[in-house]
This record gives sequence, structure tokens and C-alpha cells, in this order.
Amino acid sequence: MTATTTTAAHPQRALRGLAARQVRRGALVVTTVCAGISALVVAGYRTDALDPTALAALARNPAIRTLFGEPIALDQAGGFTVWRTGTVLAVLLGVWAMLAATRITRGEEDAGRWSLLLSGPTTLAEAVRQHLGVLAVVPVLVGAATAAAMIATGVDAPGSLLHGTGLAAIGLFFVAVGGVTAQLFVSRSAANGVAAGVLVVGLLMRMVGDGVPTLAWLRWLSPIGLLALTRPFDTNRGLPVSVLTCAAVLLMALASRLAARRDVGAGILATAGRRPARTALLGSVRAFAVRRTTRPLVAWSVGIGAYFLLLGLIARSMTEFLTGNPQFATLAAQAGFPALGTVEGYAATLYALLAVPVGVFVAVRLAAVAADENARRLTLLLAAPVTRVRLLGAEAVVAGCAALVLITVAGIAMWAGTATVQAGLGVGDALAGAWNVVPVVLLCLGAAVLALGWAPRAVAAIGALPAAGGFIWQVIADSINAPTWIRALSPFAHLAAVPSTAPAWPPALVMVGIAAAGVVAGTVGYRRRDLSA
Amino acid sequence: MGVSALRTENLSKRYGRLLALDDLTLDVAAGEVFGFLGPNGAGKSTTIRLLLGLARPTSGQAWIFDTDATDVAAAHRRLAYVPADVALWPRMTGAEVLDLLARIGPGTDTAYRDELVQRFALDVSKPAGTYSTGNRQKVALIAAFATRAPLLVLDEPTSGLDPLMEMQFRQAVGVARDNGQTVFLSSHQLAEVEAVCDRVGILRAGELVEVASVAQLRRLHHTEVAATFTGAPPDLTGVLGVDGLHSDGATTVRFTLNGSPAAALRALADADVATIVVREQSLEEIFLAYYGQNAR
Repeated sequence: MTATTTTAAHPQRALRGLAARQVRRGALVVTTVCAGISALVVAGYRTDALDPTALAALARNPAIRTLFGEPIALDQAGGFTVWRTGTVLAVLLGVWAMLAATRITRGEEDAGRWSLLLSGPTTLAEAVRQHLGVLAVVPVLVGAATAAAMIATGVDAPGSLLHGTGLAAIGLFFVAVGGVTAQLFVSRSAANGVAAGVLVVGLLMRMVGDGVPTLAWLRWLSPIGLLALTRPFDTNRGLPVSVLTCAAVLLMALASRLAARRDVGAGILATAGRRPARTALLGSVRAFAVRRTTRPLVAWSVGIGAYFLLLGLIARSMTEFLTGNPQFATLAAQAGFPALGTVEGYAATLYALLAVPVGVFVAVRLAAVAADENARRLTLLLAAPVTRVRLLGAEAVVAGCAALVLITVAGIAMWAGTATVQAGLGVGDALAGAWNVVPVVLLCLGAAVLALGWAPRAVAAIGALPAAGGFIWQVIADSINAPTWIRALSPFAHLAAVPSTAPAWPPALVMVGIAAAGVVAGTVGYRRRDLSA
Repeated sequence: MGVSALRTENLSKRYGRLLALDDLTLDVAAGEVFGFLGPNGAGKSTTIRLLLGLARPTSGQAWIFDTDATDVAAAHRRLAYVPADVALWPRMTGAEVLDLLARIGPGTDTAYRDELVQRFALDVSKPAGTYSTGNRQKVALIAAFATRAPLLVLDEPTSGLDPLMEMQFRQAVGVARDNGQTVFLSSHQLAEVEAVCDRVGILRAGELVEVASVAQLRRLHHTEVAATFTGAPPDLTGVLGVDGLHSDGATTVRFTLNGSPAAALRALADADVATIVVREQSLEEIFLAYYGQNAR
């Protein structure tokens, strides 16, 4: 007689354990970055006496408000830190939260792993709830760690706690947004795209709401606007963060309800049924790469184009303000935005920001190649007379060209904005300024190809590092007045302020050289390694 | 010896400490339908990945029609492949996937492709995201058979097909054979291998343990004999080739035959045989014998 032992069934605990395993590493990174940057900026704050009347002027200027958010409590380290890092950290946390939400729910389901999971007593809605529930803990940790780090560095507890709560609410909101879009769409990429659209629209609404007094109410509709409305270290309002938290809770509940109403593997929005074949761009691997890039490129162009159009529209107001208040030109320079007093300087400063989204775009496109390989979709292509180098070359060239299109769209959008307000930016200058970020974008391409060859699981992270990591590095280095050699590690330290100055060719060529080395080394690795196809 | 469609020499693949494929030397002649058998994890898929250049051999070499298998631009002009687990871009329709594969592939007979679409009853106007496992497999099978490439490498191509479609598959293999195409078929469906293959190779724990024609395999192995007699059965103990002898009642004798049946037949002829049933073992039984050895 054999005795059989059965493990006591704790399906919910097992689900939570599974979810925690999938998010713990990213959670650690996001928590460290948010808390660390906040503490560094607090510590690096210098109490230069600011003239109260000048501060009032600053707070009234629509361009400043549009670009940086409403400047409040800048005379305190805490207020300055919130103003300087609040939006950046909110976007970082929001992007991570929504990507993680779609990854651990729709991504796992799409890969077929949930079929096995849900063959037990667990329902789909239960699985979604448990996964989102575990993920929702992370923003709370991020908020708590940020508040703790700020308090530990010596700023007021109420403001720090409110700021931490706001960040937590933003994170929760985007966990819920990702959770809802993951129920709506069958594919993870569509869910990510729509969630990212919510973030970009929220950001633009915050900008417009801050910049145009009659549209100030728009901020109540935007998660990032609500975060700004809490005014930490100033009036410390609790209502906006409550609204944001309620919205997040409602969206969470919606995600759970939607999950209960659909089949495993299906979406709430039905996929198109039969349709005639669209056979354009199927003739070669390069054409096929173009075909798969077109849709994301259009979406990214709309987002980036709208953002830079808005920046163009406020250009004149901004430059006139800074010319009239040189004190703030110094402050802006300290915050990493030098030479905003002329339209060319303004354009140069903001075009440098363009490297971040375009660099991320390139990294995401090559990460899609890694994902296709991992999902074995490339197998049929590579069983055709197509060498790996040709496939990789096609994908890299198409991603690079798409990045150039994005850069050009941004250049033209900002020019169109400045032309509307007659700020006097030439179209040639606008394009030169935008194209100035090409070396940084190429660094991202080089890093992404390198990762595809040697570390295919980390293509997005490694590919985005030169732009996103370099940008954050520069923000920290500027905020803590780091020595030159530390600043020099960021590619942004080597971008000339085109169009207000001539392009810096030697550093640009060095960056292109490093990028080329990355491409070569990555191609060698990609040729040699075993494919997971 | 004719042209080799597929050849490997001392091909080995090591994943860390695991030797997935050990010194495989194999030669599949052009025009042959070759069955590649082995239990899960024996190294069948590893072999195919090496043949396709998707993985790099630790040592040894493989050729596709005398082209080095790592030179995929040339080698893949002469082959078509159906993976075990077909993954497609979910938003593309079946027709679009077939169009893509035809345009980058080694050349496709579109009339035959259309015929195959009909035969496999595939609705090509639906997005691949809505396809079942079997339908995704059909897409890859149609694309591969329609190429008329001289070598078809099929990795468990029918695991998701229903019996009707399985029949269509066998028919398509028959057409390929008639066209002089070589088929390299890795499969668990032993009845299917038995029905379509000329020769089989059996892989066990990364090693090739047997290569023979299906008929040879059977001959190499036991034939089961059951004979009834009108009188007393003869004593077959010690007769050359007779094994596993046992009586089934007073008049029936069962035994298995190894090698030549001549001695046993002579012994039987001296007695009064009422009925005799000679049954060859199925491939499945032969195969299970290999599994059994593996288990021991």
C-alpha cells in the first residue's frame, strides 16, 4: 500500500508567488531609481536666494508652466526636487507599471502559459486580480521609498509623504490602465500601445492645462496633471491624489470585471474576422520589416509630433520670459536647460530631449525582433534562404530609418509650432537641431544590436540605456554638480546646442564609431549563437 | 550510391553539461522518405536545428546536397521546413503568411499551393491569431509542400492534425515522393512513419541506435508465431531462432522467431499443423522495445 501525499492547494498564494517572481527585479530597479534620484536632488539643492517677485513671475509664465509644470515652492529643497524630478519619475514609474501589467497578464496568456495555469480551479478573473494585486504593491513601495529617502535627506515629512503618495497613485493608475488594456486587446503590443497612448495624452493634457489658464481644468482629467495639483511642499492638497487613487481603483475593478466576461486567449474587442489579403510589403525580409514597423511608427510619430508642436507653440513666450528674467536663465541652466533665452537655444535644448523617445523607439523595435525569435515566429523566415545577417541588417536598417523619420517629424512639428507664433526658427535650423540627436539614437541602435547578439533577453533595456539611462545620468550629474568626467559618461554631455551653435563633429563621430562597433560585435554574436527559434 | 540529400558527419551538440546529440553520422539519399524516430528529448529537434543552421554544432558537420548546412543562403534554396510548433504573426492572415513564405522562400508552385489550401480545408482569409494549433501547422505544411524544394524537413508535422488531414498529409508526402523530393520526417506517429517511410533512423539519448528500412527493421526483430496442431505439438526447445516458447493449452504453441525461419519450419513440418499465424511486429512494438531498453 503506497501512501500518496497531496500538496495542500493554495492556488491564490501560488498565483501571487508567480506574479511576484515576474516583477521583483524590475520593482527593485524602479524603487532604487525613484528613491535614489529624489534623495540626490534634495542633497544637491543649493539655497541660492531667489527673489520672491521673480518667483511669482516664473510661476505665471505659461511656457515655463507648460514645459516644466507649475513652479511651486522652489525656495525649498523639497519643492525644487518635486518640480525637477516629479514628471520624469511619474513617467518612468507609469511606463514600467503598464508594461509590467501587460507583460505578466496578457503576455503570459498570449504565450500560452496561462492555459495550463487556468486548467486548475483558478478562474481567469482571479488570475488577473491576483497578478495586478501583486503588481499594485510595487508603486506603494516606490512611493514609500521615495518619501523615506527625501525625509532622510532632510526635507519636510508632509510634503515628502504627499509626493510619495502621488507617485504611488500614478503607479497604481498605470497598473490598472495596463490591466484594462490587457483585457481589451488580444495582443500584448496593442495593449501596450493603447496604454502608452493614455500616458502621452495625459502628459500633453498636463502641459496644455498648465500653460493655458482657461484650460487648467484639463489637469483634473490627466493622471500627471492630478499629481501636479497635489502641490507638495506648498499647499499639500490631498483631493487630487484621492481622485487619482479612486480612478485607479475603479480601473482595477473594471479590469477584473472585463476578465470575467471574456474567454482565455480572447479579448473584449473582437479581432477582425475574415478579410482579403493585403500583400503589399511581403516581398523580402526588408519589406516585411517595413511592414511591421509602419504601424508603431505612425503611433510614435503622432505622439512625438504633438509634443514637439506644443513645444514650438510656447517657444516665443518662453524665450521672451527668460530674456526678461535672466535670473531664471541661470536657474534653468542649473536644471539642465541652458541657453533658453533665444529660440535657437530653446530649440537646441528641447531637441536634445528627443533622443530619449527615439532611442527608446529603436530599442523597442529591436526588442520586437528578439520577441519574435523567442516566440519562434522567425523560424519560418530563417528556414528560407535568408541569412541571419540579412535578417538582422534589414531590421536594424528599417529601425534606424524609422528613427530618422521620427526625428524629422519632431523637427518639422516644432518648426510648425514656432512658425505659428512667429518665433523665428528657420526650417533648416529646426531640422539641423533635430538631426543633431542622431548619434545618440545610433548609440541606442548599436547597443540594441549588441544585446541581440549577446544578451537577447535584455534588448529593450540595453538598447534604451544610452538615451534613457544617459538622460537620467545627466539629470543626476547636473543636480549634484558632479565632476566633469562623471558628466562625460552621458552621451548628452557631448551634444552641441544645435542650432544655436555648430554641430560638434568630433564627439558625434566618436559616438557613431562606438555605435558601429556595437553593431559589428552584435552581428558577430548573432551569427554565432544558437537561436531560440 | 546516389546523391545525398542530407548528410551529417560526427555531428554533436552540447548544451552545457548535457550532450544533446552525440556523434551523429547519417546519410539520407535523394528521393528517399526517411523517418526519424526517438522518444522525447532524444535529440531529434536538436538534429533538425543543426541541419537548418538555427543552432551551431559543437563538433562535426552537416550538408544539404553537399552544401554546408551553415551556408543557409545556399542550403535553404533546396529545402523547405515545417516546425513542430508553428508560430505565426497573429495579425497576418493565412494568405498573407503563405504569400510572404512563397516570396522569400526557395520558389513556390502557386497552383499546387492553391490546391493544397483546398485539400487541407484551410480558411486563409482569417488572421493567424485565430488559428488553432492544427491550422497553424497546415499553413506551414502547405507552404512547404508547395515549394517543391528537393528536400522537405518535417518536424512532427501532424501532431495537431485530425485523421482526415493526416490522410491529406500522407497523400502530399506521396506526391512529393513521386516528384523525386526527399522527405526527412521526424515523428511520433509510428503508424504514419510505417505508412510513408522507406527507411527509419532511431535516436536514443542523443545517439543513433538503428538505421534500417522498415522491412529490415521488422526482419531484424521478432516475428510472432502461433501454431495449433491436430496431435501433440512438436518439441521446439533448442531449435535455431526460436525464442519465448510457451504452450497455450494442449494443442497450441506460441513462440517468437529471430532471424531465419528455416529450422523452425522444418520442425513444424514434421508435426500435423492445423493452423499457423505469423505476425510481424509493428513498428510501434519494435519502438517500444527500444524504449524498454532505454528504461532498463
